[in-house]
Amino acid sequence: MEGLLAGNEEAVRALYARFARPVFTLGLRLLGSAGAAEELTQDVFLTAWRKAARFDPGRGRLSTWLMTIAHNLAVDRLRRETGASRPTLIFVDEIPEIASGGEEEPLIERDVALRALTSLSDAERRLLARAYFGGLTAREIAESDGVPLGTVKTRLRTALIKVRRANQGKERP
Amino acid sequence: MNCLAVREHLPELAIGVLPEKEQAAVERHLQWCAGCRKEAADLGQAAATFAFALAPASVPRGLADRVVTRIRQAAGAPGSRRRMRAAAASTIAAMVAVAGLGWGAVMAGKADRFAERARVAEQQKSVALDQFRHVLANLGNIGTSLPGNETHFGQLAPTSTGRRGGGAVLQLVSPTMLDFVIVIVNGLDPTDTSALPYRVTLVNAVGDVLKAGRITRLDANGGAETFHQFQNRDLRGFTKVVVTDSSGEVVLRGTVDQSTGA
Repeated sequence: MEGLLAGNEEAVRALYARFARPVFTLGLRLLGSAGAAEELTQDVFLTAWRKAARFDPGRGRLSTWLMTIAHNLAVDRLRRETGASRPTLIFVDEIPEIASGGEEEPLIERDVALRALTSLSDAERRLLARAYFGGLTAREIAESDGVPLGTVKTRLRTALIKVRRANQGKERP
Repeated sequence: MNCLAVREHLPELAIGVLPEKEQAAVERHLQWCAGCRKEAADLGQAAATFAFALAPASVPRGLADRVVTRIRQAAGAPGSRRRMRAAAASTIAAMVAVAGLGWGAVMAGKADRFAERARVAEQQKSVALDQFRHVLANLGNIGTSLPGNETHFGQLAPTSTGRRGGGAVLQLVSPTMLDFVIVIVNGLDPTDTSALPYRVTLVNAVGDVLKAGRITRLDANGGAETFHQFQNRDLRGFTKVVVTDSSGEVVLRGTVDQSTGA
């Protein structure tokens, strides 16, 4: 992170090599076009450079921090662009594994994510997808499904805890 | 908000869909509660991991070079900083004006009698609003992109040394945007050029000091505006605002309330 703070090109490229694909993928799925995903990817790494001093390894992993920035920027953009079409969501375990393109990838994070998904029920996966990728609040989901707000919040929490447990000991810093 | 209520909101905070009002209250709680902060970090980590589950897409060729180029430009291009400055300053100032926050205090000291002060403040506010509306019309969505719970407001009052003038301060303290501070002063002595330049500094609880602006000229009402954007500096905790004259005497002083949004 010291290299990133100093604007060191090598540090930027190292961070990019590790996280560009998941960031771009998240942008593509949330924003629906390659152009918007590329803009988002640039914004994410620019923000990471600007905010590098705020990253605290004691409060979370680098992958969490970076993907939180990506998710926040993408959701903000979605909310600004009224009428933007919502893309179809495809999970890794719903399509055949794609061979690596030779670029260094965060294989461990993908492996962890796959493991986490298998620990969830279909209903829990759909619920998390509607909130995380669809940007729906617990209240919006509760009203849409006709279930109590507290129930939705409890289910979200249960699903996240399952993901967290599946992740434990499987992540890299 | 107690721990029980906060933890009810943490899943939505982790997923990034907690409504703004609740988010501000939860963030305030997390600043001092280590237990809830740990829970929030755990859930946030789980939510972030979820993003990796998407089927990976192919990254466009040359994007790495474009990212590096963009960061280089941001690091060294004065033009881009000027554009950001203009946009952010106008937007924040407009938010202050529209919200009707503190304009009376901003204009305090420029008139002796209350009625005159109120009339002048209203007049200035009206002029400012027209200017802000014009600028905002050219900014598109920028004006709506600054989270209300990340902008914080404070007022400046004269010290026994300065004995005149007043001001307002606005800070953006954000985890995802460049932090900045805008200081508007008014009612200083426009004829006392020996007091120039005034310097604005921010101070935190342990005495760290940040330079936050320099005023080299005052208008006829003794007013001026400064803007300073921090490239790699977190303004969290830098709540004390001090304006000193050229001799180092403190003429205005105030505190920004970072516990609530503007």
